[in-house]
Amino acid sequence: MRAALVIAGRILRQRLRDRSAIIFAVVTPLGLALAFSMLIPNEFSSFHTSFVVVDQDGGHVAKILTDDVLGAIVDAGVADVQTGTTEAAAAESVRAGEAGAAILIPAGFTAAIETGKPAQVTILGGEFAVSLEVARSVVSRFASDVGAAQLMIATTAATGGTVDATTISQAQAAVAQPGPIAVTDTATEQFQANLATFYGAAMAIMFVFFATQYGSLALLSDRETGTMPRLLAAPVRPASIIFGASLAGLALGLVSMTVLWIATTLFVHASWGSPPLVALLILAAVVAAMGISTLVATLARTPRQAGGLNAIVALSLAAIGGVFIPLSQAPEGMVMVSQITPHYWFLRGINTLAASTSGLGDILPSILVLVGMGLVLGGIGLARARRALVA
Amino acid sequence: MTVTTDLGPDEAAASAAEPAATPTATPSAKPSASVLSCRDLRKSFGSREAVRGVSFEIAPGETYGLLGPNGAGKTTTISMACGILYRDAGEVVVAGRPLDVGSTEAKAAIGLVPQDLAIYPDLNARENLAFFGRLYGMGGRTLATRIDEVLEVVDLTDRAKDRTEHYSGGMKRRLNIAVGLLHRPRLLVLDEPTVGVDPQSRNAILTSVEALSAQGMGILYTTHYMEEAERLCDRVGIIDEGRIIAEGTRAELVALVGGEDKVSLTASGNLHTAAEALGGIDGVQGVTVHGGGLDLLVHGARRLLPGLLEAASRDGVSIRSVEVVEPDLEAVFLHLTGKALRD
Repeated sequence: MRAALVIAGRILRQRLRDRSAIIFAVVTPLGLALAFSMLIPNEFSSFHTSFVVVDQDGGHVAKILTDDVLGAIVDAGVADVQTGTTEAAAAESVRAGEAGAAILIPAGFTAAIETGKPAQVTILGGEFAVSLEVARSVVSRFASDVGAAQLMIATTAATGGTVDATTISQAQAAVAQPGPIAVTDTATEQFQANLATFYGAAMAIMFVFFATQYGSLALLSDRETGTMPRLLAAPVRPASIIFGASLAGLALGLVSMTVLWIATTLFVHASWGSPPLVALLILAAVVAAMGISTLVATLARTPRQAGGLNAIVALSLAAIGGVFIPLSQAPEGMVMVSQITPHYWFLRGINTLAASTSGLGDILPSILVLVGMGLVLGGIGLARARRALVA
Repeated sequence: MTVTTDLGPDEAAASAAEPAATPTATPSAKPSASVLSCRDLRKSFGSREAVRGVSFEIAPGETYGLLGPNGAGKTTTISMACGILYRDAGEVVVAGRPLDVGSTEAKAAIGLVPQDLAIYPDLNARENLAFFGRLYGMGGRTLATRIDEVLEVVDLTDRAKDRTEHYSGGMKRRLNIAVGLLHRPRLLVLDEPTVGVDPQSRNAILTSVEALSAQGMGILYTTHYMEEAERLCDRVGIIDEGRIIAEGTRAELVALVGGEDKVSLTASGNLHTAAEALGGIDGVQGVTVHGGGLDLLVHGARRLLPGLLEAASRDGVSIRSVEVVEPDLEAVFLHLTGKALRD
């Protein structure tokens, strides 16, 4: 163990001295994480839009939509609602990007509802697809509630009941109230890391491969420069030499991810979650990255070749693993494939931790998969490295 | 470069107690209390047999040379002798302890100076020495003191804090040797240490090896330079195509060739009379007269030379120059293999 620590210390000293590890493992990912979180609109994490409503009807059913239903959205902080005068002005407002969508209530809307005739609300969408979808969802739900009220009134009449002002008033109140059944999107709740957290974590897991590679690259460098025979001739077991290099990779990986964790938390208000659990997840991710880097290095003959190969593997796994685009927007098949990458499991763990109620049990699958990947792939790599040293 | 290295009391006693080995020109020579014993080492790379049954032993204070052309199997042999390489067969014992790739005790007795520069260019001399010293279990004040000593030995004290990438080739070679000496090994293995070295540094290295040997360190020295083997080595193993084809002292190996020394006298005067007189001297095998002087074939030219010159002068011959050509290890190698060392 002493020899391994001596070797790890020497590798760390060399890497810090040439600054390559600092640039690849800390400066670059931190810069990219900050840039991504500042440049990309934060639409996914704290959605807010505005609607313009043109009420050409003015009846009480229309008012339920404008005041009660849309009012609830305003109260929730999801949207602002402006009142438009004409359809053309509303359309222009949407085109100009001043409103995310326009909701047009035609004249005779209330009368049509009250007489059981078809009625229509028009929605105009602009370049923000999410705003259009939100407007459509709100109005669709209102239409369903109105339909339910109409059905209640029709049923009352058909069964010989009296449809009087009280009955109609009750139906209108029912429409204005929140639905009796609340559908909670558990997936959305689970994956609620904000953009700063997502890109901080994504850059961390992508660039940790560049940090952990320095351990195995040191072994290749020792072989190339001629220092390996002297290491092997020393009273040190070959396994200690490899273990020492792995320790250096582990240390660099931990430093890289920890710096990103702290920096994004301090500077862009990323929220990675409970520190002890984040630390566990980071350790597991570094083990996985180290295992893959070690195996990749054994496929190369020179440090330069290994560095190139490692970069290809790191970027490919990052692309598949959802580092560049959140997997919530990827096709289902892509999500399946992404599960072969450590990136998927790490980001899944981080997203899970973003829910304040998450505990160790929630991220345990991610930790187990990451550590398993690291041990299996790293084990194969270490065996290959040992054989190559003293073949 | 001057070399002083302290041996421990055990080593010094062992060195003093053991008489110089008396090897013969056969691979069976076995110095007692050897610091290194290699028996029947074999190693193949794929279908190519790099080393085919190499055996030799080195006594404390003895310098043993492995002489052979490039590709003869020298580096593979010492790699197995140092536990760097797994061997297919054979046995290595260092300072009484069996050695394998994972043997830490036996390896602690070895100081290796590889053919390639085995130092880190982005570390300075002191950092290089400290790193390797710690691998040998050294530390603290002991290590710091020893680093100062070896830096003094290789004359790098003034440049100890400079990164070695800024060193000259000779300085790097000297540091390469210093690392091998740092932990006071009982066996120093030098693999072609003078390749690519300027004449001045080369001479300094050879002088240091002589000094280390005189202090009782066992030395295994591989080279394809015949002159180095002749100057340094108490015994030489001539290796070719993975086998030691002859082993012994220089004289023993030369005797294998069975040749005589050639003495060429550039002279004038009554050469034929002188030739008759010289031919009668015991040890002279033949005398040839030519326009510029006399050529003699003799056994033991160095011993006979004063008498030969006196006899020639007595017969009125005026001698302007003398050249003695003795059979050397190059000739031995040529004789045994049919090819030159540098082929």
